[in-house]
Amino acid sequence: MAKIAIVGDSTSVAGFRPLGFATFPVERAEDARGLWRELSGGAYGVVFVTEPVYSALEDLIVEVLDQPVPAVTIIPGAGSPGGVGGARINRAIERALGTSMLIREEEE
Amino acid sequence: MTKMRVNPNRMELLKLKRRGDVAKRGHKLLKDKFDELLKEFIARISANRKLRAEVESRLIGAYGLLAIARAEAGKANLTQALLTGAPVELLEASERRVMSVRVPEFELGEVPEPGGYSLATMPAVLDGALEALAEVVPMMVDLAQREKAIELLAGEIERTRRRVNALEYVLMPSINETVKDIQMKLDEAERGNLTRLMKVKDIIAAQEAAGER
Repeated sequence: MAKIAIVGDSTSVAGFRPLGFATFPVERAEDARGLWRELSGGAYGVVFVTEPVYSALEDLIVEVLDQPVPAVTIIPGAGSPGGVGGARINRAIERALGTSMLIREEEE
Repeated sequence: MTKMRVNPNRMELLKLKRRGDVAKRGHKLLKDKFDELLKEFIARISANRKLRAEVESRLIGAYGLLAIARAEAGKANLTQALLTGAPVELLEASERRVMSVRVPEFELGEVPEPGGYSLATMPAVLDGALEALAEVVPMMVDLAQREKAIELLAGEIERTRRRVNALEYVLMPSINETVKDIQMKLDEAERGNLTRLMKVKDIIAAQEAAGER
C-alpha cells in the first residue's frame, strides 16, 4: 500500500487533507527541496506537485524519471496558469519521437 | 564507414560473417520492438491530453470554490477545519510490463468522506469544494499513472532508437565493409598465389626443356 503526497502552497494543498492525502504545504517553492528525500523514499506512490514547486524541484524529479514509483505529476496550483504539466509531457514526446511534429498534426 | 582492424584471413572472415548475422537479427528484433513501443506510445498520448485538460479545469474550479469558502469563513477558521483527517494509504501500487518496460499501476482505495468540521461555522460551499476535489482525485491518480507510463515509454523508445541506429548505421556497415575488405584481400592473395604457381610452372617447364636438349 502506498500513500499519496501533495506538495504546494497551503491554499492548493489544504483541501486534500480531509481526503486522506499527505499534504506538504510549503511557503516558498524552494522549501520543498528539503522534503524531497522523504517524498521519493518509496512511501508515496504518487506525488502531486504544483507548478511552482515543480520548477523548483525539476532537477531532483528528473532523477526518478526512469523509476516506476513515485509517479510525480504536475497539477496547477491555486493562482498558477496551468500548462506546465502538458509541456512536460510534450517534452517526453519529443524525447521519444525526436520531433513534436506529430502533436501539431493531431491538434489541427 | 570505419573498417575494423582484423587480420585478413578466413578465420576472421567467418567470425565476422557470423557477427554480421547476429547483428542483423538483433536489428530486426529491436526494430520490431521500437515499432511496437511507438504504437503503444502514440495510443496513450491523445487520451492523456484530454484527461489532463479535464483534471486541470476541474482543479481550478475546485480551487475557486475553496477561495469562496475561505472568504466566507476566514482563513484561520478554514485552515483549522481542513486539519481534520490524516494521511491514509490510499493506493494499491503494482507494476505491469508493457514491452519490457515496468510501468506502475495504481488502484485507488476508498477516499475518506470529508467532514469532521463544524457545520455551524463552515459555509456550505466548503462541502461543495471538497466534493469537487474528491471527484477529481480518481482522475488525478489515473493521470499520474498514465503520465508516468508515457515518460517511462519515452525513455525506453529513446534507448531503443539509439540501439537500432547504432546497429543500422555503425556496426552493420562496418562489419559489411570489413567482410568485403577481407574478401578482397583473400582474392588478391589467391590471384597472387596463382600467378606465382604459373610462373614457377613455366620456369620448371623451361628448365626441363633446357635439360632435354
